[in-house]
Amino acid sequence: MTVPLPARIGALVLATTAFYTYVGQLVPQKEVQPPQETVIRTDLTSADMAKVGREIMEGKGLCFTCHTIGKSGALRFPDLDGVATRAATRVPGMSELDYLAQSIYEPDAFIVPGFNPGMPPINKPPIGLTDQEILCVIAALESLGGTPTVTLQTTHRYLAGAAAAGGTPGPAAAPAQAPGGAPGKPQPLTPPDKGAAAAGSDGVVER
Amino acid sequence: MNGLMNRKLLILLGPVLALVMFGATVKMASSLMSREYRDPYRVPVAATDPTPRAAGVAAEKAEADKAARAKPYEEAEYRRFPGVGSRVAIWAVAQLHLLFAAFVLAVPIFALIIEAIGYKTKDPRYDRLAYEFSKLLSVSFSLTATFGAFLTFMLIILYPKFTNYLMSVFSPTFLPYVLLFFAEAFFLYTYTYGWGKFHPLVHLGLGLGLNIVGTAIMMIANSWLTFMMSPRGISDTGAVISVWEAATNFTWMPINVHRFIANIAFGGSVAAAYAAFKFLAAETDEERAHYDWMGYIGNFVAISAFLPLPFAGYWLAKEIYAFSQTLGLTMMGGAFSWLFIIQAVLIGNLFLGANYYLWLGMGRVEGAQPFQRFIKYLLAAIVLCFMIWATPRSIIATVSEVRAMGGSAHPILGFLGVMSAKNTAVNILILTTFMSFLLYRRTGKIATVSWAKTGHAAQLSIFAVAAIFVIFLGVYGYFVEASVRIGLSVPQVSAVLIAMLSITAIDVFLFRKPKNTGEVRWGKMPAISQYVLIFIAVTFTWLMGLMGYVRSGLRQHWHVYGVIRDTSPDAFTPTLGFATQVVSATVLLFFLLIGFVFWITSLHDRPDYAGTKGEGSEIPPEFAVAVPGEHRGPSAS
Repeated sequence: MTVPLPARIGALVLATTAFYTYVGQLVPQKEVQPPQETVIRTDLTSADMAKVGREIMEGKGLCFTCHTIGKSGALRFPDLDGVATRAATRVPGMSELDYLAQSIYEPDAFIVPGFNPGMPPINKPPIGLTDQEILCVIAALESLGGTPTVTLQTTHRYLAGAAAAGGTPGPAAAPAQAPGGAPGKPQPLTPPDKGAAAAGSDGVVER
Repeated sequence: MNGLMNRKLLILLGPVLALVMFGATVKMASSLMSREYRDPYRVPVAATDPTPRAAGVAAEKAEADKAARAKPYEEAEYRRFPGVGSRVAIWAVAQLHLLFAAFVLAVPIFALIIEAIGYKTKDPRYDRLAYEFSKLLSVSFSLTATFGAFLTFMLIILYPKFTNYLMSVFSPTFLPYVLLFFAEAFFLYTYTYGWGKFHPLVHLGLGLGLNIVGTAIMMIANSWLTFMMSPRGISDTGAVISVWEAATNFTWMPINVHRFIANIAFGGSVAAAYAAFKFLAAETDEERAHYDWMGYIGNFVAISAFLPLPFAGYWLAKEIYAFSQTLGLTMMGGAFSWLFIIQAVLIGNLFLGANYYLWLGMGRVEGAQPFQRFIKYLLAAIVLCFMIWATPRSIIATVSEVRAMGGSAHPILGFLGVMSAKNTAVNILILTTFMSFLLYRRTGKIATVSWAKTGHAAQLSIFAVAAIFVIFLGVYGYFVEASVRIGLSVPQVSAVLIAMLSITAIDVFLFRKPKNTGEVRWGKMPAISQYVLIFIAVTFTWLMGLMGYVRSGLRQHWHVYGVIRDTSPDAFTPTLGFATQVVSATVLLFFLLIGFVFWITSLHDRPDYAGTKGEGSEIPPEFAVAVPGEHRGPSAS
């Protein structure tokens, strides 16, 4: 019995797509959920903040998409092991806290020798951590080779004296990363009240 | 005669009876469905009080009516598509629209080139081939437009707020788009139905117009989708500052180029699959010879466009990284990194299939034996490159295995999972396939130019230097910093491109007026070669579906990256397994529909119904319809 030509071709098409679907089932299956908002209590100790910060780094902050901890060799972005020690001396005249804050708010201001610029400002979308969340991340970074000292009341140059507990708005309400800005160039500082203004407006970014 | 009359009567009565039965069924069903409690038939209305139920129903209705009137207008943000959900529904429709659009854009490109070759060489075979390709267009064009309208309505219904935002940004582009669409319809139908009706140069002009308009339409549509991935030209709050900047965003031109090339590859492969189908169904040697040639040309077009495609892909990836490192790393190192292993399997299969078809094709040329002995070496190189490319950096392993390896990367194979190895493998893969092409070109002919020996040596030297250079840079990449290593892919790509261009240039002059040592016996191909063509077409289509998914899925929980967040229940990124199932379902649907296109197109070549019943002679010759293109003689080409 001869199988009709359309049936033979249909079987080939079906078998080919089935094979590729099967290949698709062989690779690791991971469903990525949108980042959850982190509720930060105001009475957290520095050690608690470091724990929260580590969770943020692993989740919403997407830090480990690029960075590693305790890895050496040819790396694409700096390894974070012992970063607290290096942060204090990395830029002459800049404190550990200011250096870490600068690395997060304005990452292209200083590029570690041997690496390329590429880290986005973490307080802006698409990552868009709040000032409180960033303080927790700083606490987590301080715990890598040191002891966390920041609290939710700590201020630094990017908070411009505003109490962190009062915080700037959440990421969904934060303005977009300046899309017109050329990549690789330093991003301008975003005053905290600019984000607040955007959040208070009726713009589409509030969705 | 009576029997024939009875059959005709039955054929006529059948649909009438079916319609009557359908109407009766609908009437009966609606009558049964609308039945509800009514007052007893024999009780006089005046003698009974209204039942409490009737009053209750009336009160309920009045309350619902009041609530509906009191409800304020509220703009819906999302609506749910029943069953599969909104995302999968949009995904499938968009993908089908894109596949048909790619086909409709691609076929005119190579139809025009083939027609131009026919005009230049005065060979009517090319003209016939170009016409055969263009016959696939009109039905595909209708399906493209239908799916385009379907997609637009689905976006408005399911994602109204987001669609409204896109419209507010790109409204100035819509009117030109519609006007271009009219122009596309004009050029497409005059090009297809005007075959042989105009002066050849006028007809070529129509084809050129069709291509220019089609490409312009694609570029406008690309601006909308690339804006979603790499937005610019808007303020921090998402308000439009410059429509031009929004349209010409970071990834717009790389996508234009990538799609233009990929469309040609895809269109060529589908046209080759059509030829394969016709070849397998052919009943005469003449038909087989024609469709073998058509399949060869379609595949040649597909593979020629496929070879530079990775380079366009590099450019696109580079622009994605330039726009946002986060986006780039999500693509290559995050949730989507394993997708590129699936891609490697697909592309490896494409290279294997394309090379296998070429090697089988050598069999149709007399005197191909000297070249066939190289096949085993080429196959070994392709398989080796394929294996390297498909090696993942992190291996799926149990906890104890990970401990034993000292990490998720294998101590030896892990070195093959990095970009230095993969870039090298893909470049060598391209060079090897190019070598297969060169060998195929040489079958059955010998160069007669005085510098033939030097030419061959020069070609071999260029090939060897390019291969050694690519491998050297690949190995060198392991010993340098990341910032240097990333830049090494550019010289690798450039070396391969320069090698291909210079070797082709030498080849063109080398084989001018060659001595033929064997005839090409078109049609003398094993049936498996045609199934390979169909396999290549399915793989291309599946690859387009997969890469469409990664391009769109890369935004993750953003409609417009960093600007409009997806807050729908579908905001999560599904597993790759689920994504491949959707891609497969879409591909199967596409092939079902393209089968329909092939079937409709093949009706054109069938004899008239009256002719098959021996009644053709009843049509006076003056009423006989001429088939476009087929009356066209060589002089008209």
